[in-house]
Amino acid sequence: MKKVASIFVSALLVGALIATGCGTKTESPSATTGSSASGDVIKIGVFEPMTGANAAGGALEVEGIKLANKLYPEVLGKKVELVLVDNKSDKVEASSAASRLVEKEKVSAIIGSWGSSLSMAAGDIVKKAQVPTVAASATNPLVTQNNDFYFRVCFIDPFQGKVMANYAFSKLNAKRVAIVQEISSDYSIGLSKFFTDSFKELTGDQNAIVGVANYNTGDQDFSAQLTNLKAKNPDVIFAPGNFTESSLLIKQARQLGIKVPIIGGDTWEVPEFISVGQEAVEGAIFSTFFTSEKPITPESEKFLAEYRKANPGVEPAAVTALGYDAYIVILDAIKRANSADSIKIKEQLAVTKDFAGAAGMITLDKNGDAVKDAVIKQVKNGKFTYLDIVKAK
Amino acid sequence: MKQKKTLLTLIAILILFVFVFIADQTLDSYKMRILNLCAIYVILGLSMNLINGFTGLFSLGHAGFMAVGAYTTAILTMPDIVKTQNFFMTPMMKPLDTLHVPFFLALLAGGILAGVVGYLIGAPALRLRGDYLAIATLGFAEIIRVVFTNTQSITNGALGLKGIPVSTNIWWTFGLALVTVLIIGSLINSSYGRAFKAIREDEIAAESMGINLFKHKVIAFTIGAFFAGIGGGLLGSLLGTIDPLMFRFFLTFNVLLIIILGGMGSITGTIISAIIITIGGEALRFLDESMTIGSLVIPGISGMRMVVFSALLMIVVIFFNHGIMGTKEFTWDGLFAKFAKKPLAKGGNKQ
Repeated sequence: MKKVASIFVSALLVGALIATGCGTKTESPSATTGSSASGDVIKIGVFEPMTGANAAGGALEVEGIKLANKLYPEVLGKKVELVLVDNKSDKVEASSAASRLVEKEKVSAIIGSWGSSLSMAAGDIVKKAQVPTVAASATNPLVTQNNDFYFRVCFIDPFQGKVMANYAFSKLNAKRVAIVQEISSDYSIGLSKFFTDSFKELTGDQNAIVGVANYNTGDQDFSAQLTNLKAKNPDVIFAPGNFTESSLLIKQARQLGIKVPIIGGDTWEVPEFISVGQEAVEGAIFSTFFTSEKPITPESEKFLAEYRKANPGVEPAAVTALGYDAYIVILDAIKRANSADSIKIKEQLAVTKDFAGAAGMITLDKNGDAVKDAVIKQVKNGKFTYLDIVKAK
Repeated sequence: MKQKKTLLTLIAILILFVFVFIADQTLDSYKMRILNLCAIYVILGLSMNLINGFTGLFSLGHAGFMAVGAYTTAILTMPDIVKTQNFFMTPMMKPLDTLHVPFFLALLAGGILAGVVGYLIGAPALRLRGDYLAIATLGFAEIIRVVFTNTQSITNGALGLKGIPVSTNIWWTFGLALVTVLIIGSLINSSYGRAFKAIREDEIAAESMGINLFKHKVIAFTIGAFFAGIGGGLLGSLLGTIDPLMFRFFLTFNVLLIIILGGMGSITGTIISAIIITIGGEALRFLDESMTIGSLVIPGISGMRMVVFSALLMIVVIFFNHGIMGTKEFTWDGLFAKFAKKPLAKGGNKQ
């Protein structure tokens, strides 16, 4: 046994040696090209969850980034190289990944990450290293706060909450709204908070929100919360949250005989929302970033054509379009800066104005947040259909 | 002889500090971050090994204790203005919003609070044994996380905290790791430590020898929770941001992996495996990238390193089925024996 073990261990060591040998061998040519010219290659780092709980979201974003890289492989006559690192949907890992991009790969700019809390883990690192970073779909206001080097191409939770409050008030003629929020999700409580604030302001009624119920991620049964809210007799129910729980919640609401419209946020826009909720989610309304039915800008058409060519029969998700936008916004800033220098790119990113992205016109405000239109969609005949566009005032 | 060994230990510590000093001067922040993580995982691994490895209590509550330590340290060190910015949804509770203390005191407070929580959880739960204790502690850790999610005016709930001052540096992490090693090491070699080990081997025999089972279990559990709190505080302050989702069962699992790989009941093993696991995960990143072997181009597959890493772990566990060190420790005597009387030691030893 001992002998077998020692043979095995030595075999393992040899194997490891070969593996690392290969590693260094492959790295050396790329290293030489990299150093021979920080001249011919501009490196853009991508840190996304490719494994772990958020892998699906990360993969969708990377799809968009790669598509953009295929369409625009060059800037200033130099090749753009994407350096993708996995952050394992883990905060500790996310900070190491961001640090690696900055220190080891020496990237000019970074895109990422899906998930606000993962983006926040990179915040201090990119700020200290002064590398501009563009988040595609991180909507938590804290991500860009107090950080001149963090930008995003999506709108933030406060705006989305406001949009839905406006919509409920003006289009659905709601006077009394009940809220069901996923208490363990920063996204859900953020939206609820800002919905509440603007809805109270719109109606001028401090009691316009008739009830608030909480649930946790992974809950299956919502009958207690729903029965409670039903008794309060609201005109509309606002239920931002994860798509699985939300579709179950809507299903149970309909079974309990709640007939009022149920509205939510962009997380609902996944096929599973309809496949779980089926006919119960018919008529559900939510705000999102992007629609493939009605191209918003010429860039949208270009993106859609390319996406459909690569994936016949599949419509792109909003985060894919946002990943695409994050890439082209950085490229645009590099072009205007006429340099791959991080600080110059950051300066140009900060003044991005009326830039045509695939998911709408992008103007970055002083926090680095995108000010852009929201799209309202509804589930009709088992499909997400375009309903309206709400202008960013 | 004893004097000589103490001298050697002091020299080793001196060498460690010289290493830390050189690392601090020469390495970039990415490598420093990995080194910091190594030291933090050493602290966490040791604290868990004290409970699981030395006392034989199968506890899975570590993430909960870390959360207590991390939140306490964060709340006590964050400047007022950052607090107001963070708590834009629900204002922070009154005395806490203007409260702050120096980093070390905050860290200590985090450790003590985690120890208190450990005591409160341990007192009832330690009447359970084996798998039942594991389930109970796992449940408590989840409860702590859910409480933190719901106490918005204290912890900012699911939004998490951002902008925690990054006070953790290599002196803190390595210094505290050294302190942890020394404290847990001397605890293990004291009469308490022998009692812990006796409890691990056979509870009934230990009790009949006059060891107060409950008292010793609670002591081990509380001290373990204290160091877990310190480790959590350091981690939060290294990252600069924390949220309740960070302290899921997965975090406990990471620490458990370290002590199982290193050997349940070996300080040396925990130190070695904490370093291997932390550096290994980063060093294997090249597996995720696309590779060119000769003319063959293999496209990068994300997650490949995790597959390889897991396979390596399985191999280690199969061939060293008590972990790298088992219950053995590094001693100066052992080192001398290796160099001086190699044949004799071999003859005398079963190896």
